[in-house]
Amino acid sequence: MPPEAILSARAISKRFGGLLALASVDFDVMRGDIFGIIGPNGAGKTTLFSCIAGALSPTSGEIFFRGERMNGLPNHTVVKRGMVRTHQIVRPFRQMTVAENISVAAHFGAGRRRGADADRSVRDILERTALAPDASALAGALTIGQLKRLEIARAMATEPQVICLDEVMGGLNPAEIVGAMALIRSIRDSGITVLMIEHHVHAVAGLSNRIMVLNFGQKIAEGPPQQVMNDPAVITAYLGAD
Amino acid sequence: MQQQLVSVILSALLAAGLYATMAYGLAVIYGVMRIINLAHAGLMMLGAYVTFALFSRFSLDPFAGLIIVGPFFFLVGVVLYRIMGSRLTRSNVSPSIESLLVTFGIWLVLQNLAYVIWSGDTQSILTSYTLKSVKILGVRLGVPSVLVFLASVASLIFLNLLLKRTYLGKAIRAVTQNRDAARLSGVDADRISATAFGLGTAFAGIAGGMLSTMQAFTPDFGRSFLLKSFCIIVLGGMESVTGVAVGALVLAAMENGLAVYTSVPTSLQDAVSFALLFIALVAFPQGLPSLFTRFARRSFR
Amino acid sequence: MKWIRAVLWAAAAILPLIAPLFLDRGMLNDLWQLALAVILASAWNLLGGFAGQVSLGYSAFLGIGAYTTLLLSLKGVEPFLTLPLGAVLAAAFSIIIGLPAFRLRGPFFTIATIGVAEAVRVCASSVSFTGGSSGLRMPTGSFNFNLNYFSMVILAIAVVATAAYVKSSPFGHGLAAIKQDIDAAEGVGVNSNRFKLAAHALSAAMVALAGGLYAINFQYIAPTSVFDFRLSLSIVLMPILGGLGTVIGPILGALIFSTLQIKLLSIPLLRDSFLFIYGGLLIIVMLYEPDGIVGVWRRLAPVRRIFNAS
Repeated sequence: MPPEAILSARAISKRFGGLLALASVDFDVMRGDIFGIIGPNGAGKTTLFSCIAGALSPTSGEIFFRGERMNGLPNHTVVKRGMVRTHQIVRPFRQMTVAENISVAAHFGAGRRRGADADRSVRDILERTALAPDASALAGALTIGQLKRLEIARAMATEPQVICLDEVMGGLNPAEIVGAMALIRSIRDSGITVLMIEHHVHAVAGLSNRIMVLNFGQKIAEGPPQQVMNDPAVITAYLGAD
Repeated sequence: MQQQLVSVILSALLAAGLYATMAYGLAVIYGVMRIINLAHAGLMMLGAYVTFALFSRFSLDPFAGLIIVGPFFFLVGVVLYRIMGSRLTRSNVSPSIESLLVTFGIWLVLQNLAYVIWSGDTQSILTSYTLKSVKILGVRLGVPSVLVFLASVASLIFLNLLLKRTYLGKAIRAVTQNRDAARLSGVDADRISATAFGLGTAFAGIAGGMLSTMQAFTPDFGRSFLLKSFCIIVLGGMESVTGVAVGALVLAAMENGLAVYTSVPTSLQDAVSFALLFIALVAFPQGLPSLFTRFARRSFR
Repeated sequence: MKWIRAVLWAAAAILPLIAPLFLDRGMLNDLWQLALAVILASAWNLLGGFAGQVSLGYSAFLGIGAYTTLLLSLKGVEPFLTLPLGAVLAAAFSIIIGLPAFRLRGPFFTIATIGVAEAVRVCASSVSFTGGSSGLRMPTGSFNFNLNYFSMVILAIAVVATAAYVKSSPFGHGLAAIKQDIDAAEGVGVNSNRFKLAAHALSAAMVALAGGLYAINFQYIAPTSVFDFRLSLSIVLMPILGGLGTVIGPILGALIFSTLQIKLLSIPLLRDSFLFIYGGLLIIVMLYEPDGIVGVWRRLAPVRRIFNAS
């Protein structure tokens, strides 16, 4: 695997009974990339994230993170090693406040912060994700835009080296999308490598330096945004063969 | 040696019939409504007592009494569902724990009911044939056990016909497999749930009635049978009568085998069943019992 | 506002300690029972309320604590010195059970605990060294009620203080995260298994300590008294009544429960109806307000605000 690659996947396959959700997917992500993953619904994108994050075990194939083999490691271990993912359908801790949600991640993520150190980290993330005014609000009472930001804030609080964002822009209005794009750029600028699954093709094209396209569990294209967007196979996958 | 084996097999078979009837009562309620019905134990106990009451008051033969117990308990089940069913979805604790605790409360209430009506004294049913035995394949088997087996088989056949041949049965199976899809296909989930609860209660009552012919009982009884029912559902799944029957056979075989071939004292045999339940619950997280796959799938999202 | 709460808590801790000065033995006995109930409810709440794992098998830990103290005392060991060993044994047992059992989610875990508790009860009744079903007596001499009273009260204070500490600690937040969304908790680095095992072990140890004190005070233990399913039930009912997952909930529940027990025992009619009451309470609470008294209190907040404003 290429030395600068922070995350590598080799021949990842995932089978659910009779359904082959992922078929031999390979890719490398370099440190500092914003790596976009797009594809029609059902292409296996979220499944891929689950395999990478340790929530699911791939049926076959290998995942390397910073040079170490990761398959089969439980979710919490993967997070402690520095790779975290957000969920497409947000999963906040509804009976905790925004600040408490973030502090759980700060305490038990890769950063393993304690005490005043953890509080500082939480305050910092509240600022960066514009959630400071809502810090004492219960997560169960937030709007979808705030919840999406909380999801990202929690992931950031684990102090990852790689963050996997699963459709964070889903359900956001245009103004919120602009804000999300700025946030993602600032995450990358702070030294974190970003993988993002997205349906908003323009947002992905604008942010990513490399994009991979999945369809029916297989990789059908990979490369810089312009190249991928004009790839006939990709166009066919989205629009259907004529 | 061979005789022992035959004896074990026959005893296991007889026990399995009862176990399957008992387990099915639990299975249908969980399958259709995802409610873990701890009241099942109380309902079995009540079934025993009602059968006993019919016997001691009206001299009605317990097996004939089952014909009354079945429909009566079906109605009880439907009523219970109508009172409680709709509320069992709000929660702060996850819904299934809540339903478990509510049914647990119902169980306690039923126990008290029995204490009040019949007192805590041990009761048993003594008919003309209770102590008789019959020789089958060279093995001496108690007449009640054989009758219970026949009654169980009859109920299970009836159940199988119900599930396979009637609309109601198909609807129950559909909701068990996928509630949302079933509703989209036009199934009235609420009515099916009420029916399923009634059916489950009926089977609990019948199982209890059958048990009353084979052993003495107190209001406290039912807990070990409840745990055995869980064990069976976990082992054999609950989507079909065959699955439950297989689970029942496995448990019964293990119990009888243990009793005959090892020196584990009878008092500890229940502990062994519980251990088996525990092991079964833990060892089959993904496999055959759909009870489990469904739960695992739900948590993975 | 905060200092009012601090004063109330301090009073609640100090009052039972000075109670022997003005209460008679009968009432002190009731307080001892109350302290025991508070310990059991608060300890169970660590796993059941904070982490959301409902175990119906806690009588096993009480029994382990009681029997460890009893058996070692019969061998000549000073009773109070046996307490830590009982706690360690209970914690170890909780881990042995927890390792497989915590792989199960929600109600399935609960069923597994019912199975374990039953197995323990059956085994304890059959084995001879526990005295079989007739039980065992503590060695005679050195029964000191005042000592017993103070130790139970102090243990209760310690347990509640521990619960309060845990609740606001990172560990407690981790448990809450597990309760609310275990997969999301794992997704931010919480090793849910380890947390559950830790909460289980801690609460088991506390219950076992209470069990040891129970043996010392009651002087007689039988498997039916300490391994009783009804005991496991009461342990669960108290925090549910009062308010799962809060610090004060188990205390409120224990108060109601103990009062109920005492009242029930004195009215013959009600004595036979306690299962109705337990069962009824469980049903009503679970159907209408799963958060118990604390939940009702919270719901009244808008009403209280009106009163405060006027």
